This record gives sequence, structure tokens and C-alpha cells, in this order.
Amino acid sequence: MLIDFNFRIILEYLPLFLTGLRSTFFISIVSIALALTTGIIACACRISGVRIIKYPAIAYIEVIRSTPLLVQIYFLYFGLPTLGLMIPEIQTGILALMLNSGAYIAEIIRAGINSVDEGQLEAGISSGLNYIQRMRFIILPQALGVTIPPLLGQAIVLVKDSALLSLISVMELTRCGQTMTSERFMPAEAFFTVAFFYMCIYFVLKAVADWSQRKLIFREAY
Amino acid sequence: MIEFKNVNKWFGKLHVLNHINLKIPKGEVLVICGPSGSGKSTLIRCINRLEKIQKGEIIVNNTLVHDKSINLTKLRGQIGFVFQQFHLYPHMTVLQNVMLAPVNVKKIAREKAEKIAMKKLDQVGLTGKSGSFPAQLSGGQQQRVAIARGLAMSPEIMLFDEPTSALDPEMIGEVLDVMVNLVSEGMTMCVVTHEMGFAKKVADRVLFMDEGKIIETGTPDDFFDNPKTDRAADFIGKILTH
Repeated sequence: MLIDFNFRIILEYLPLFLTGLRSTFFISIVSIALALTTGIIACACRISGVRIIKYPAIAYIEVIRSTPLLVQIYFLYFGLPTLGLMIPEIQTGILALMLNSGAYIAEIIRAGINSVDEGQLEAGISSGLNYIQRMRFIILPQALGVTIPPLLGQAIVLVKDSALLSLISVMELTRCGQTMTSERFMPAEAFFTVAFFYMCIYFVLKAVADWSQRKLIFREAY
Repeated sequence: MIEFKNVNKWFGKLHVLNHINLKIPKGEVLVICGPSGSGKSTLIRCINRLEKIQKGEIIVNNTLVHDKSINLTKLRGQIGFVFQQFHLYPHMTVLQNVMLAPVNVKKIAREKAEKIAMKKLDQVGLTGKSGSFPAQLSGGQQQRVAIARGLAMSPEIMLFDEPTSALDPEMIGEVLDVMVNLVSEGMTMCVVTHEMGFAKKVADRVLFMDEGKIIETGTPDDFFDNPKTDRAADFIGKILTH
């Protein structure tokens, strides 16, 4: 029962959990940055209308969105070496998270761009602004507002998805819980702690989301 | 100045512009009216190539509008366009809205562009609102900003697509007044509108369209008082009695 909950063992394993937390944090930050870049590029390709870059972008987005992340991770981790490509686990994990989130981010950005009223585009066209100028001055500033909340949502998803990397023996937070469980057989304490740290990351990201919503997002002034 | 030569356009199977032949000389004020879906908006949207055409040609100032090799930026710089729904940029102030194209398309220096913008805002009576955002303005004020935005590029032609149709009745007058002032400056204007008062006061010619065709043209007095065709008479009766 709860009385049996052993806080001392958590303290004992705290250094391990903190390394795991640091690892999860590092993997997430790097993956989010890379995924954002991937997403922006994939979205730009997809809406470009230039066939040779549009169709590969669509293929990438659809393949990622139609397959489970775990399968993608396993494909990269077990599949790539048999094809002659050896990458360490952490890099494999970051690559998987980047490719996975990148596809979702591409769609989030595209939805944001599509949400801007057609008339805005026509007003820009009529005044002679070219494609890049219309994007820069008219479309993207308005798309940004509706894009930031789902983007931060995707960032939160990515942090939690990084738990799957424990399955390819990346020493991140969830893996630390597994380690402690196998050494001491105290799964309740182990995964309670793991969950607690994920919650901490979640609330930090949520605070960033709320702050950005107040500060960065353009809202029509009423 | 603007010439339509046998222009045809289809939206799928719908023949929106059916053999349009039309000449608009410099300085003319042309009012286009007709029932909903008659192709009048499409007609003026073709002039600055917001719409493609499938057959025929449109010539603006000796430029073949739908030719692929023309300088579209230059063409559009000569033509101001005012939309029914204003389409102001909601994330920019009034001044920024008016300055955007002069600074980025014409590459005019900021200080100079600001002067031009303030002059145009003065022309529509809104200098006091230069720092406001569009959502803080009434519909009539927003449409006047949209007109100033069009004028800031110093166009030779102004196109108006039902500029007062989205406005509350009490705001229609202020927008029409601005347009009447433009007429007195000699601007070439194509106005899609059902405002008979405006047409009678300033239009040189009224053009009546139905089902993609030009049914009749005439001076405002002739058209409204003695329409030649039954369809026009029917239409005028409807806008008078509503």
C-alpha cells in the first residue's frame, strides 16, 4: 500500500534520474529544433507547386503520418545497420523523432498558412507584391498566431514520445525507470518518479506556450 | 486605356464572360451593374489579372495583360483595386497598410512613403487614424483606408468591386464621397456597384451585364430612365423597389 512507498530509494536513485532527465531534455530540445527545420522545409516544398520537390514532400509526410513511431524507430535502429549505415542509438533516436515530428509540423504550418483568408492574398497580389513579399509581410505573420499553440502541443508530444527511445536502449528518463526496476524491483517508485519528471517538463513547456500566446501571437485588437 | 477584345472566360462549364468587347478611355468613370453572378466582378478582376481568361485579350496602356512575359508588378502598380470586404491587413496599422506596397514594390524610401501615405490618408479623411489597427475602425473607415492603400501606388486606374455592399447604410455615403472626389481628379475608374445615386452623379457610362454578357450600355440617365432591354428594366425595377 501507500505506506510501503519507499521514498528513500527514490533519493538513492536521484542522480540516475537526473542524468535521465538531462538526456531526455537534451534529446527533446535537439529533436524539436531539427523537426521544426524539417517541418518548415517540408511544408515549403509541399506548397511550392514545383513537382519535383512537392511530391517527395507529400510522400514523406504521408509515410510518417501513416506509420507508428515505434516502427519508424525500429526501422532506423535495426534496419539501417543492415543497409550498411551504422549510427549510435542517441543519434538514431533523434533522427526518428526529428523525422516523425517534422511531418506533423509541416502539416501544422500548412494549416496555419491555409487559414489566412484568400482575400489577404488577393490584396497583396493587387498591390503588386511578389510571392516572397506576400508570404513575409502578409501571410506568415498572420499564420504564426494560429500556428504557435499546435506547434507547442507537438513539442509536448515529442517529449513524451522520446520515452520510446528507451526501447532502443537510449539512457533517457524512462530507461532509468526500467534500470531501477530491474535492479531493485520497485516499479511503483521508479515509474512514479519518471512520470513526475515528465510532468515537470510538461509544465515548463506549457508555461512557455502560455507566455508566447500572450506575447508573440498577433490578435486583432478590439 | 483599357480594352477588352472578344474576351471569354469559363469557370468549369459556366461561361462567366461571354464575348466581351469593351473600350474604357482614359478618365472615364464606368459603372458596371447587373444581377448576382452576372460576371461583373470577374470582369474587373481580369483587368489586373486576378483572374485568367481563356480566349481573347485585354490591353491596359498598350500592355497585353494576360501575356506571360509582361512585367506584372508594373502593370499592377498602375491599377488600384478596392474589394467589397476591404481586405486590410489586420496585423498592421492603418499607416503600415498604406505604406506596404510603395515601400516594397516601388522601393520608395520609408520617410517619403510615409509622407505619401499620410497625404492619401488625408485625402480619405483619416489622418487621425494612422496608428489604429483595422479592427478598431468602422466598416466605412476601413474601406476608406483600403482606397488610400490603392491610391498610395499612384495608379492611373482604380477598380472598385462593390465597395459599399458590405457596409452599414449610414457608412455608404462617406465612402461614395471619397470616390466622387477621385472622379473630380480625373481618375479612370471601373466601379461595380448598385448605387444608382453615385452612377447618376458621376458615371460617364453604365454597363449592364447578365449571364456573362454585356446586355446594354448607355449614359446613366438613359440607362436608368429609359432602359432599352427588358432585362435591364426588370433589374432597375428590382433595385428601386427594394
